[in-house]
Amino acid sequence: MILKKIEVNINGRDYCLDVEENLRLIDLLRDKLKLTGTKEGCGEGECGACTVIMGGKIVNSCLVLAFQADKSRIITIEGIEEDDVIKNSFIEEGAVQCGFCTPGMVLAAKSLLDKNLNPTEEEIREAISGNLCRCTGYNKIVSAVKKAAKLKRGGDGE
Amino acid sequence: MEAIKPKNLEEVLEYKSKYKGDAKIIAGGTDLIIKIRKGEENPKALIDISSLNELKGIRETLEYIEIGPATTFTEICECILLNKNLKGLKDAARSVGSPQIRNRGTVGGNICNASPAADTVPPLLALDSILVIEGKGKKREIYLKDFFKDKGRGELEGDEILTKIKFKNPLKNQGLGFYKLGLRKALAISRLSFAVFLEIDEMNRIEIVRIASGAIGKFPMRELEVEEYLTGRIINENTIEEAETLLERVIFERLKGRQTAKFKSIAAKGVFKKALLNALYLCKGVNDFEKN
Amino acid sequence: MNELKIVGKSINKIDAKDKVDGSAIYPQDIYLENMAFGVTIRSTRPHAFIKVDTKEAGKIDGVLKVFTYKDVPGKNHHGVVLKDHEVFASKKVRRIGDPIAFIVAETKEIAEYAKNFIKVEYEDIPAVFDPEEAMKEDSPKVHDRDNVFYHFKIRRGDVEKAFKECHVIVENVYKVPMVDHAFLQPEAGVAFLDEDGRVVVIASTQYPHFDQEEIAESLGVNKEMVRVLTPAVGGAFGGREDITVQIHLAIAALTLKRPVKTVYSREESFLAHSKRHAMKMYYKTGALKDGTLLALEAKIIGDSGAYASWAMNVLRKSAVHATGPYYIPNVKVDSFAVYTNNPFTGAMRGFGATQVPIAYEQQMDILAEKLGLTPIEIRLKNCFREGSETATGQVLEGFVPLERCIEELKSF
Repeated sequence: MILKKIEVNINGRDYCLDVEENLRLIDLLRDKLKLTGTKEGCGEGECGACTVIMGGKIVNSCLVLAFQADKSRIITIEGIEEDDVIKNSFIEEGAVQCGFCTPGMVLAAKSLLDKNLNPTEEEIREAISGNLCRCTGYNKIVSAVKKAAKLKRGGDGE
Repeated sequence: MEAIKPKNLEEVLEYKSKYKGDAKIIAGGTDLIIKIRKGEENPKALIDISSLNELKGIRETLEYIEIGPATTFTEICECILLNKNLKGLKDAARSVGSPQIRNRGTVGGNICNASPAADTVPPLLALDSILVIEGKGKKREIYLKDFFKDKGRGELEGDEILTKIKFKNPLKNQGLGFYKLGLRKALAISRLSFAVFLEIDEMNRIEIVRIASGAIGKFPMRELEVEEYLTGRIINENTIEEAETLLERVIFERLKGRQTAKFKSIAAKGVFKKALLNALYLCKGVNDFEKN
Repeated sequence: MNELKIVGKSINKIDAKDKVDGSAIYPQDIYLENMAFGVTIRSTRPHAFIKVDTKEAGKIDGVLKVFTYKDVPGKNHHGVVLKDHEVFASKKVRRIGDPIAFIVAETKEIAEYAKNFIKVEYEDIPAVFDPEEAMKEDSPKVHDRDNVFYHFKIRRGDVEKAFKECHVIVENVYKVPMVDHAFLQPEAGVAFLDEDGRVVVIASTQYPHFDQEEIAESLGVNKEMVRVLTPAVGGAFGGREDITVQIHLAIAALTLKRPVKTVYSREESFLAHSKRHAMKMYYKTGALKDGTLLALEAKIIGDSGAYASWAMNVLRKSAVHATGPYYIPNVKVDSFAVYTNNPFTGAMRGFGATQVPIAYEQQMDILAEKLGLTPIEIRLKNCFREGSETATGQVLEGFVPLERCIEELKSF
């Protein structure tokens, strides 16, 4: 196995790493860096549990090879602020059940709200359409994102 | 497997001429990574073009709109150069997978994988797109409609890569419509899709029509018989209905013996009509024929 | 009255914070010192005698051991009601996906590579995939017994006589397919020996106490020597009630005396756990001219696949719920659980009560149509109220607000 040297910024920290050429970004995050908040639900880009933000956009980390991430900036769930309103809204709205989809959902919501602080319900549903949840039926997740948007706009979220 | 991240197109062509078919181009990787993991693809080298600016982005020249093959679906959706008469191309790009897939997946991958269900191929066919293909020291152009050879196989030599997709920028009275039938809203592989490029005059006479279908044959293709029928006719409910009937027959013939023949040939009528009306709407700015 | 502190209030889920932070630990998130990795070899045939040769795989550098049925120290079986699953298939496989061997290696990559060197010789035998075929006397037998392993009967009143008095009778057959839970976290687990020599198994499971018994029995040790820890569980919906990773991991950790981990892919997850029962439901329902239900005769056949799992409980529930929430004085229901060579079926939300509404509610609509009643009228006429008696003789006491619920629907 040939190793490839990559430089990557993850959650604000610079890493210089030797990676196997067929290593996926998700394996790099989980197995090598122990950033296990990124989950693998399907390995085929269908479920979105492995969602991370790469270069400002959400991607499935199971469908990116680690060497492709060279010179990029990545944000995982561990890189989200401790008191982020999206996370709190998820907790308060009951949008978290088994929790396996939650990190990906939070990142998909963040990616939406970073661009659009006043999303319609349709836009919220579109933004999380690449993230499967088997517990909630999505409604509470949608309310959580709505609440977070309102809080970010300066409302009280009610 | 060797992983290569070339700095420019020249390097890509160099590697391609060295490895030929043993090297696979990877951009979004949304299909290729799954295939490699399943053992269906086993390339000696992977050449990553996902961050090569030369192969990314959308440009307008005097006559053409040019799209780099490593342009992602999201970039197509968000591009302001693609005006509203090209809505069908954006609609197709927006219908791909999910936000995550659209942020990685590229139009070049959509073409080169030659999947029958590739979402952006029917609109590009209806636009009569031309592909620019390059190898070390060589360059050629081929119409997209002549590119596909079989399911999953396009006409690309081992040392060549797709470097550009181009089509004529539509005029005011021209429009590109798209419609896709999937099993659900997100992450649905196309069951059936149509793209229609239309030009009509003030009398509603069809000057130019190009119709392309997806997920019906071995690869997306033009529906020439229906195009021929419609060309020169005044567009109204009658002609649309005639065209639908003709399409149903053509598709049933093509799929004969397959279980899906009956369903697809009937469903195609509705999907085609929606794409046609979408195109008409763009030409006219109004939709005269959709009743309800 | 004192104000209630918790009841009626929305409270935050206790582990929600860890889950939004990504710090909640699921079994796949556990990495231990000196941890080996296991992968499972599964049957690719639905019904076959097998011969397994693990020699080549065992010789590969980095492979620690390939476990088969010969390596099970205790009983080579498990199962929530009947012990009809084998830990590893010994002589024959009964479905696609039956575990045959467990390769444990230094790394996942080595274990995956070694999979290619396990030789399984299959001698196919006739298989049966249709439960009604399986019920026939001369059908292939999935286990060494009749394929019908459960028959539940409800008899109330005189159905034959009642049908003669009915103004309208509706007779239909309904079929519902298998369904997978598709919980988002594929099965995974880690096992190791603690300081006291006990086997510790960490796995996402719905029944740590059942698992403890089953693991102990297969290890041939006392229950006290087995600890089962349940970390965060990424959804279950009934799909984690049967054993998957637990015993394989325990045997490997006990034998190798080092931590062993396994993580299933989504594809393997589909192969490994149960499904919702596919059912075929024969329904004959009769009513008087005014819509009053008089008689129901139903035959419900549940496809249990290769193993029983909770089939008895599920098919009993289907029968008990066969009338729906409607009073019917004359009822004859027969439900059956049948072995086939399909994927095995078990618990899934509703537990047998989910399938039958497809039949009984459609019967109600069809009866209403034939009698010139609205769907709401026929339901109001027959719905359970306080004091109603169900087909099994249970008198419903207390709060039965169904009538109000149907009334509310009038406005839609």
